[in-house]
Amino acid sequence: MTSTVSLEESVPSVAPGQARTRTAALLPSWSPKLAVGLTIAGIIIGWAIVGPFLVQDPNDISTNWFAHPSAAHWLGTTQTGQDVWSQIAYGTRGSLLIGFGVAIIATVLSGVFGILGGYLGGAVEEAFALFTNVVLVIPGLPLVIVIGNYVPQNHRGLFLIAVVLAITSWAGSARVLRAVTLSVRNRDYVAASRVSGEKTWRILLVEILPNLIPVMASQFVFAIIFAILGEAGLSFLGLGANGTFTLGTILFQAYNDLALTQGAWWWFVPPGLMIALFGAALSMINFSIDEIINPKLRNSTRAARKKWGLTAAQINQLEQENVK
Amino acid sequence: MRFYLQKVLFYVVALWFAVTLNFLIPRLMPGNPVDILISKMGAAGQPVTPATRRALEIQLGTGGKGNWFTQYGQYLNDLIHGQLGASLVNHPAPVTEVIGQALPWTIALIGLSTVIAFLLGVGLGVFAGWRRGSWLDNLVPATTMFQAVPYFWLALILVLFFTRWHQWFPYAGGYDVTTTGPSLSTQFIGSAIYYGFLPACTIVLSSIGGWMLGMRNMMVATLSEDYVLAAEAKGLRPRRVRLTYAARNAVLPSLSGFAISLGFIVAGSIVTEQVFSYPGVGQLLWTAVSNDDYALMQGIFLVISLSVLAANLIVDLLYGLIDPRTRARA
Amino acid sequence: MSLSNKRLLVRATALAAVAALALAGCSSKGSTGNNSSGGSTTITLFNGSVGNFTENFNPLLSTGAELQPSQGVIYETLYYYNMARAQKPVPVLATGYSWNSDGTQLTITTRQGAKWTDGQAFTAQDVAFTFTLFQNNEGLNTTGAKWTAKATDDHTVVLTFPSTSFTLEPQLLGNMAMVPEHIWSKISDPAKETNINPVGTGPYKLKSFSAQSYVLTRNTDYWGTGDQAPKIDNVRYISLANADAATSALESGQIDWMGSYLPTLKDIVKQHPTLSYVNTPDSLTSVFTCSNAAMGCKGPQTDPAVRQAILYAMDRAQLNTQAVAGFAGPGSMAMLVPSVNGENIVDQANASLPQSADVAKAKSLLEADGWTMGSGGYYTKGGQELDLTINVVTGWTDYDTDCTLLQGQLKAAGIKLSVNQVAQNAWSQAEVSGNFQLSLNSINPGASPSPYFIYNNYLSSTNTAKAGDNATTNVSRYSNAAVDAAIKDASATNDAAKQKADYGIIQAQIAKDMPYIPIYVNQALTQFNNSRATGWPTPDNLYAFPEPWKSWDNGIVLKAIRPAKS
Repeated sequence: MTSTVSLEESVPSVAPGQARTRTAALLPSWSPKLAVGLTIAGIIIGWAIVGPFLVQDPNDISTNWFAHPSAAHWLGTTQTGQDVWSQIAYGTRGSLLIGFGVAIIATVLSGVFGILGGYLGGAVEEAFALFTNVVLVIPGLPLVIVIGNYVPQNHRGLFLIAVVLAITSWAGSARVLRAVTLSVRNRDYVAASRVSGEKTWRILLVEILPNLIPVMASQFVFAIIFAILGEAGLSFLGLGANGTFTLGTILFQAYNDLALTQGAWWWFVPPGLMIALFGAALSMINFSIDEIINPKLRNSTRAARKKWGLTAAQINQLEQENVK
Repeated sequence: MRFYLQKVLFYVVALWFAVTLNFLIPRLMPGNPVDILISKMGAAGQPVTPATRRALEIQLGTGGKGNWFTQYGQYLNDLIHGQLGASLVNHPAPVTEVIGQALPWTIALIGLSTVIAFLLGVGLGVFAGWRRGSWLDNLVPATTMFQAVPYFWLALILVLFFTRWHQWFPYAGGYDVTTTGPSLSTQFIGSAIYYGFLPACTIVLSSIGGWMLGMRNMMVATLSEDYVLAAEAKGLRPRRVRLTYAARNAVLPSLSGFAISLGFIVAGSIVTEQVFSYPGVGQLLWTAVSNDDYALMQGIFLVISLSVLAANLIVDLLYGLIDPRTRARA
Repeated sequence: MSLSNKRLLVRATALAAVAALALAGCSSKGSTGNNSSGGSTTITLFNGSVGNFTENFNPLLSTGAELQPSQGVIYETLYYYNMARAQKPVPVLATGYSWNSDGTQLTITTRQGAKWTDGQAFTAQDVAFTFTLFQNNEGLNTTGAKWTAKATDDHTVVLTFPSTSFTLEPQLLGNMAMVPEHIWSKISDPAKETNINPVGTGPYKLKSFSAQSYVLTRNTDYWGTGDQAPKIDNVRYISLANADAATSALESGQIDWMGSYLPTLKDIVKQHPTLSYVNTPDSLTSVFTCSNAAMGCKGPQTDPAVRQAILYAMDRAQLNTQAVAGFAGPGSMAMLVPSVNGENIVDQANASLPQSADVAKAKSLLEADGWTMGSGGYYTKGGQELDLTINVVTGWTDYDTDCTLLQGQLKAAGIKLSVNQVAQNAWSQAEVSGNFQLSLNSINPGASPSPYFIYNNYLSSTNTAKAGDNATTNVSRYSNAAVDAAIKDASATNDAAKQKADYGIIQAQIAKDMPYIPIYVNQALTQFNNSRATGWPTPDNLYAFPEPWKSWDNGIVLKAIRPAKS
């Protein structure tokens, strides 16, 4: 009987004679998924940085409202005659700013409260866990309205939304990290490090953290997506960053101006597609990040198997053997 | 035993924090229910005079009764006696009655959908992690793309396709009001399932990717553990290794995430119910927030807090059951 | 996954899908179209309700907790005042009324032959009881006035007031539901009564209720006969959460009467010949300004020249076309709706508004006031740019579009406008507390179309307060002694000519001061499905304000419609 585990051990990942250098081993191996992911994400990020300088003013109203996509307006116009293509350029920038900002803050916060708390144990852990639970329970929606009322007008917008999203999103990941840390910290090598007198921060960094990186990596990616989606959801309810363009506020305007009902699909569909594309690209990058951390992930993809030079029948038999 | 007691105490403290927050937040919101009502009356063509404000304040029972401290004490006292006050929007209907009408719908729809999405996603994740290199690996990017789409965007497009272009499903409501009413008849339940099918599908579609991806990653990581190798070396059947050894350990983070999402069923249903006009708590919360209905808002926040904390408590306890490592403390 | 497991999964999914569709088949029979069971007609209407219904049929409340048909369909008033066109009040539960010369006594003759739905007769005692009930419960009396009510015989009621009260007439006669004494005298707290078994005199009575829908059925004992009798058998009310769902409902023929703003309404009606619509003048959309520096208002808008400049810089035709798809009507500088109140506008110059932008005039007004064009393209005075902020409720699409368009239009005239989209609570709080510069809102009529209510509510000093305190209805903080005197004079008389002279004084003042800058008359769009019922109000025959959410008018409409001939 074979299994995925034993198979990987017996088959070299590259053709014999082609050793990989140390740095090359740290980078993800090239795969179609990674290529696609990086390309799409790169294009979108690039467009977000450069795009707003290249398009017309998204605030320009005109009398040409609900125009179909044409040479003059690549994605048509809105109900006030504004150009959708330029709005999406600005909107992508706004959404990405929120996405990355929130993800960084949330990851740091969840790391501190989750990992640190989980490892240290005792009163610190109890306090952190309590704090995490309380934050988890705060309802996000009214929080936005309340904060929105107290922040002066010129500081509102992206900053406010980012802060609120960060506050409401780190608690979930912290819980997960704490749970995994609790499992990990009782392992033998951690105990060994403790006994041999290693400093706490060193143990955390060298022994515990690497185990958590798969989880943290996917959490970071999801935090970006969560932030972008959260901002879209808040905008849908009318609580978004009014005055700035983000993909969420564009969707909100489109929805409220009954774009879909009136058949103006070019206004409603592209922002959602943009978010979906970016999210898919990030996920594909995520798969490849996994492969650095866990070499086991690298080699048994179908594409890798094809490189082994087996015939179709042999590959089939391999797959069948897993079926018992 | 100490472990469980500690947990329960811990959650009681968290509950107190939550209750206090729920008291504060509505009071920090801008506006005044009477002003909002007056502006609505004006827009609806009802006559508004200077005396109207006073009359409304008397009708609604608002108009300042003591400072926040006395109100807080009163609030805690009422809470312990199970009194959540009267809703302003539906005055004088008690908040418990108003929420009680809407809550079952939300729990049924969102709750069931979340559970289905979790089971499907985790199940698929187990197989995807186990059978790396199979066709399931191609499913993961696809489901992840669905998960990266704004939920309401997906829902609205599906509504457009399935209810307007092709009228296969109803576009709004919890059940068919013209043919049946809330009861335990098969007709009502059938109607409720029919009306809930499309909203449930959109929720499952948009959240399954997350579960699948998380589970798959953890599964792959777990498969490299020594005990899995040992189990296989012992000659156990793959299925047993997969489920009892690998999946059981890999599912732990997902279980935590599931608890969190269960808790957020009520809070997260606003968008779904907006799009599908579903008669649940999400719409109620939105109405309460728009009308500064303090009592109703507090009541709904309380329900949200209770469900989040309860879900977390249950999973924490279950965690202790499933993974003995967490029970042992250094 | 093993092959057999895979197959199992596929089979299970297919089974689930089939089951769902089969159940759908079971439950969807008869769910579209009308529920004709044995020749009875049912119409479905959507009056804007969102979420679950709470059972409350108390017509005396004004909190919105009462289900809307309580006012007009189940219970009735003494007279009906039509807000859609100029006409005399229509007798409902009363057949005549008269004031004494100084307005301190109102004598009402009640209708004979009307019955409550429990069989008891409707008499003047019920009317007197109802008026006294309002007096004794401060929470119910939204007029704040005092009176005593006495039934001098079975068909006559006399109301006595301590001072001249002509202006109370529309509220007393047209806005108070009559309730039966034999039931309500036993109720200890009328404000908290949910009245789940309503007994009224109206054309329909309650048939069944559930939290998602309720049905009213024809009152066979109704006092009206022939054309005045209800002819449709059942009326069903439902709730929907958004305009998308409402549009789907309309297009699929599941709703007979609703009032939503649908920009593509003209196309929808073309595609569905059974649908029709009516466009009724409703309220005057205007830019509310915090106009009085003496009352604590801050900002350039306290300068009347700036307000006048804004008036002329607006391109109302563009606002109408783009924000409301051309459905709006022309407004007037007199703060009145010309089609309803045209005869009350004294100076014809105030009876209209410039429809296109007159940028030159706006600029000349500003320059005459001492503003000079700055380098940024905006006017400056004393080092300050002419910078204004307008508050608008986020999600009210026509208002949001108006503000976006105004930004561009005012920019052309050198005025900088920032748009502040906020939630409704914050928006109304800003107005009431005077903490705003400009706010987009509508001037709403009062209990009757009479200009008195508009001027009193929006211009009178008694209804305002300093910025920082809560104003009642005059949020612009406008305070003008001449206007106050004219308003007081108009309230003290019943003589139409005298009142018109007073209105003329007021109109001349506001044409100069412009505390509210009118834009257009926002129309109320109502959609009807003619396949089940006909006889709805039409543009030529607006016998009632046709919106399903309008109290009192809804009863008039439901009485007038009849089953469509199939």
